[in-house]
Amino acid sequence: MQSVRSTTETMTVTATVFSPASSAVRATQGPPLLSRGQLAGILLLLPAAGFLLAFFLVPALTLFAYSVLTQRADGVVTLPLTVSHFQHFFGTSLYTHVLFSTLRMAAVTAAIAALLGYPVALVMVRSNAMVMRIMTIVVIAPLIVSVVVRTYGWELLLANTRTGVVNWVLLSLGIIHQPIRILYTETAVIIGSLHVFFPMMVLPLASALSKINPQLEDAARTLGAPSWRVFWRVSLPLSLPGLAVGFTLVFSLTASSYVTPAILGGTGAQMLGNLIEQQIAAVYDWPFGATVALVLVATVIGINLASTWFFERRNRL
Amino acid sequence: MNGRSIATSAMLYTVTAATLVFIAAPLLVTMSLSVSDTQFVSFPPRGFTLAWYGKVLRDPDFQSALSFSLWLASFATFGALVLGLPAAFALVRFPVPGGAAIRSLLLSPLIFPVLVTGLGLLQLFSMLGWGSVPVNLLIAHILVTSPYVVRTVSASLMLADITLEEAARTLGASRWRTFRRVTLPQIAPGVAAGGLFAFMVSFDNYPVSMWLADAQNDPMPMFIYRKATGVFDPSVATVSTLLIGLAIVVVLILDRLVGLRRAMGM
Repeated sequence: MQSVRSTTETMTVTATVFSPASSAVRATQGPPLLSRGQLAGILLLLPAAGFLLAFFLVPALTLFAYSVLTQRADGVVTLPLTVSHFQHFFGTSLYTHVLFSTLRMAAVTAAIAALLGYPVALVMVRSNAMVMRIMTIVVIAPLIVSVVVRTYGWELLLANTRTGVVNWVLLSLGIIHQPIRILYTETAVIIGSLHVFFPMMVLPLASALSKINPQLEDAARTLGAPSWRVFWRVSLPLSLPGLAVGFTLVFSLTASSYVTPAILGGTGAQMLGNLIEQQIAAVYDWPFGATVALVLVATVIGINLASTWFFERRNRL
Repeated sequence: MNGRSIATSAMLYTVTAATLVFIAAPLLVTMSLSVSDTQFVSFPPRGFTLAWYGKVLRDPDFQSALSFSLWLASFATFGALVLGLPAAFALVRFPVPGGAAIRSLLLSPLIFPVLVTGLGLLQLFSMLGWGSVPVNLLIAHILVTSPYVVRTVSASLMLADITLEEAARTLGASRWRTFRRVTLPQIAPGVAAGGLFAFMVSFDNYPVSMWLADAQNDPMPMFIYRKATGVFDPSVATVSTLLIGLAIVVVLILDRLVGLRRAMGM
């Protein structure tokens, strides 16, 4: 929800705080510049904002600055400025391959999450309170289980030997005669990521679907539309904001993951996060690690801005 | 209902049921193998033994990872509440200039790649020469958990009845007294849910800890990651099952406190 909610809030809050009328009144009346309420609010925000500034914003910006600096032989990162790390990244097929497979795995994961998320969310909002509660627990519970534990579960399920669960089942049923290879492929990473981030799709979808006026769907049905058509022409268009939030969340979180591709992808399906870890922990190349980190952050911010832009444009039409 | 509608709903429920099985599968497989009486994890599980539980619970590395993570998550939750509670209150109840921008800043660690957050901190701490690993980890965990407190507490505050607060103020109560006696009782479940969520986020965190932890300060997810990638007996499934059990208890508490969807801020 947060991106849609925060954009609308951005608009209302800026409208109330920075409306020209109130600042004009303030200017003619002179001091006090801030009301007591504003002052109290600022004081209450100060610790959290200061903490985020010192330990989040400043380190992130310093790290990004590293991507255009040079690392000396003794390891110190300093001037001169250079774009050589970006040239190195985009000029090496190994690295662009990791970038594209990251984008591909994130997009496929988000798309499958949407396809499976709609039926689950529809059943959730149409059920009685008891069923809805149980389904919510089943959908959300895995989210509280450590990603490492869940990924380990998938490692057991997808193992490439006869004792991997999927292979064992397929062999027992006689569908296959030799174990198939799933682990250490992009498919394994997509399955694992889908499991890890599925709730992030279902919750915004369920929330958007539950806000649709049921009379609209009833009306369409009374007028003779079959259920798939009611969904296609009424529920789907009206739930698009939820879909956009879910897609953005699943895409961003999958693209940023480390544990799932490290365990399920191995060397066969690496993501940007694994590349960053290698560059810093094994190669000690800080500027290049920072470059990959900046590419990853730009990807995530890009998809978030695109989804916000899409809805602001839609709302204006 | 005509035949086609019935077919559509049948498909809807089949896909939903299959998806719920998909969600539960890795957890159930892990749990079933944790009691397997074999030397190596292999499916299907054979026999039944609780020996792996005994082995794991007596393992000093498991004990120290568990106690370190409990320590870290408790203090991180405390820090996140100290920072997040007043911030959420200010953002919802006070006309702060630039409030929307500050709110975005406070919530931004939620969408920013956690791995990069951790890397930035590693770089900052090494630049400043801060060598205390537990303190560095604590700062990092407060950073990644505080947005959850801000989000859940903000949602509770928006639902709390503001006219009650106004009535208390009109009757002469100070802002602090109003907060303590009128607002806090209303948002207490939300605060507890936010705190519990923050606790689990810290307890489960891998991508920040992987940069900052060392052998003496070894959080639980690091311990399991090493086991999952280097140990092949069922004890990994056993540790995992213990953590799944903890998560289920927390989920049921969250559901009792505020309802799960509100705890998630969605």
